[in-house]
Amino acid sequence: METSSQPKRLGRRALLKAGVAASALAATGVLPSAAASLFQAGDEKRRVILVAFAGGVRSRETFGSPANIPTLRGLADGGVLAPRTRTANLGHYGTALSIFTGVSEARGIRENGRGPDPTLFEYLRRDAGMAASDVWISTSGGAQQTNYSASSHAKYGQKFGANVLDGDGIFNREFKALLASYGEVRPRDAGEAEGLDAMRKALGETGSEQAARVEKYILDELTRGTTDISGPGASDQKAIRVGRNLFTIFKPSFLGIVLQNADIAHGDYNGYVEVVRRNDAALGELWAAVQADAELAATTSIIVLPEFGRDRDLNSRRGLDHGDGSDDLRLVTTTFAGPAFKRGVELDSEIDAIDICPTVTSLFGTSAPFARGKRLSKVLA
Amino acid sequence: MDSSSALKLDARSLRAAFFDLDGRPPLAAERERWLGHELSELIGARLGDEAFWSAWLEEQLYYFFLINNFRPQSSRVLELPQLLAKGAIDAQDALWRIALSPSFDQRNPGADTFVTVVMEQLCGMVVQKNARELEIGKAGYDGRPGLFLGTRIGSQSDVVAAAIADKRFASHLIGREYERLMRGAPPKKELRGWISRFRKEPRELASIYAEWFASGAWAERLELRRPLSNRAWVKSVFVDLFDRVPEANEARRMRDALDGLSDPAPLRSLLVRLMMDGPDKEQLKLPAEGTIEDESGWIRSVFPLLLGREATAEEARVFVHTLRLKDCGPATIYLALLTSAAYQED
Repeated sequence: METSSQPKRLGRRALLKAGVAASALAATGVLPSAAASLFQAGDEKRRVILVAFAGGVRSRETFGSPANIPTLRGLADGGVLAPRTRTANLGHYGTALSIFTGVSEARGIRENGRGPDPTLFEYLRRDAGMAASDVWISTSGGAQQTNYSASSHAKYGQKFGANVLDGDGIFNREFKALLASYGEVRPRDAGEAEGLDAMRKALGETGSEQAARVEKYILDELTRGTTDISGPGASDQKAIRVGRNLFTIFKPSFLGIVLQNADIAHGDYNGYVEVVRRNDAALGELWAAVQADAELAATTSIIVLPEFGRDRDLNSRRGLDHGDGSDDLRLVTTTFAGPAFKRGVELDSEIDAIDICPTVTSLFGTSAPFARGKRLSKVLA
Repeated sequence: MDSSSALKLDARSLRAAFFDLDGRPPLAAERERWLGHELSELIGARLGDEAFWSAWLEEQLYYFFLINNFRPQSSRVLELPQLLAKGAIDAQDALWRIALSPSFDQRNPGADTFVTVVMEQLCGMVVQKNARELEIGKAGYDGRPGLFLGTRIGSQSDVVAAAIADKRFASHLIGREYERLMRGAPPKKELRGWISRFRKEPRELASIYAEWFASGAWAERLELRRPLSNRAWVKSVFVDLFDRVPEANEARRMRDALDGLSDPAPLRSLLVRLMMDGPDKEQLKLPAEGTIEDESGWIRSVFPLLLGREATAEEARVFVHTLRLKDCGPATIYLALLTSAAYQED
């Protein structure tokens, strides 16, 4: 099966199209000119970053207050804005999962289990033939979110799952101190390494290059300062930063980022707005890192959307819950940017959050057969 | 179902029983105490032990995702294992205390989330199919009176009380506990009996557990290996390397980090190597290099100890050969086994 992640020769028409898109992006500053020239040179590998700007974020505090979100505003100006994206209020976990499965998932808020419907990671791995190292998710919500990795579907499942890494769980001062207390990993003597290999072979196991890379990444990341991020919204900051580092180091085809700290809004409206601002700024750093790498800049597109919004009115604690069924809750804004998408378009019509999954799989030359959403051809370049 | 109460404990069943009861493998003294004894004897002893109820509480806190920063710190929750072991409180009241803890409130902020989680986690309800009850519960949470799950409510604590009084609470608790311990759906006829007993007397839960372990269902569960949870893995490594249960704090830091990965294998492998090479190296419960007289016998004893099974002839041959190599020793054998895929299952 040919997939769009495999380099291939571009036809004249595709080259012209790519060149026009890249030049236009370069003109807006969203895409640097060096990257644009690389894009013109015919590298058609695609990469997608899908950010679930989750925790419950209303459009009022994002595109209704552009000063809060200069990054998203800039991406939208150079891409597609869908201000009427319909979502379902099925709890943070189930609704965020819906973005990845293309099916409205009625999952328990504190349910610690995989969903029944295949995720787009599984479609990319099984049907588009991507390697495990090519599909990553960086999360902010702890143990429950590792369930995003894969479904319990018999045809798909864990063997086609994504690598999920929860930044706050690993890159924190306590764990760093624990590892430091153990000292350095001792290099194995040649004879010992040989013995270990022989025993692993006898046990029917083979060495995993991927596991070694992940281990190295974790050790490196612990020294990069991610562990020192603290304060309100720290776990979202870590999720974005870990995503940024994963993306620039491993250069995977797909990166998902799932945020959560906006849910502080239940009891702290101002804290919620601050989380929105900080997350937008962190996304700006992520996007700048992508643009600083010519290969990534030329091939990476990004989609950002909350899983749902929040209530129209403040609660008795001067916070914002999510359960009133209002349009503030059910309609959110999606931003599409990068070479895979049109430029400078604002959609009047409604789209659905469950359309994201089949749209992403289509970018990689495959489909999402169990998704209920539809491919959004109107946003594609 | 055939009974398993007369089952004599071997390395495999003893290790599995300790994982199910205490969330860890047995310590050396416990192995010595229980190997060859009947399962029913072990079950009877452990169900009255605080360690069993500590593991039980840990499972319940995970079930409610009251972990990391949301882990309850109040004495009313922390004293539960002690009270449960003494029979001074029952499991129903214990869950009530957990749901009324400040941590539960902070974990589930706002009326919508709180009432939804109470309905889902305590009663196993699908809120999307019970939207009216959700709205009544939310109003009650905010102090407005109403009839929620058949009980008059007018406060946040009333919401929890109503859920626990609902008949679905008992059926959901017994069902999920059976699936956790026996790894399969409970048989319908017996399930009704267990629910009825629990509703009449919640203190019956321990004897219901004992009944499950004595049934053929647990013998069947022995055939079903399942990936070790990170919390069980951390305890397991400490027990198998140092013959001690980790302090709560050292276990938590490792477990939280491992919980952050969908595939914790690379980090588990790294942790084992660090623990074996680190400052506690001298505390490893391993024979000193060159002191093993019967190498083949030692290798054959280590497999059941760590993997709960015998070594195959080929495994024994390769491991004995490796043990004799210049740069290798007992620690090399342990490293291979503790980082193997088989060790990651219970």
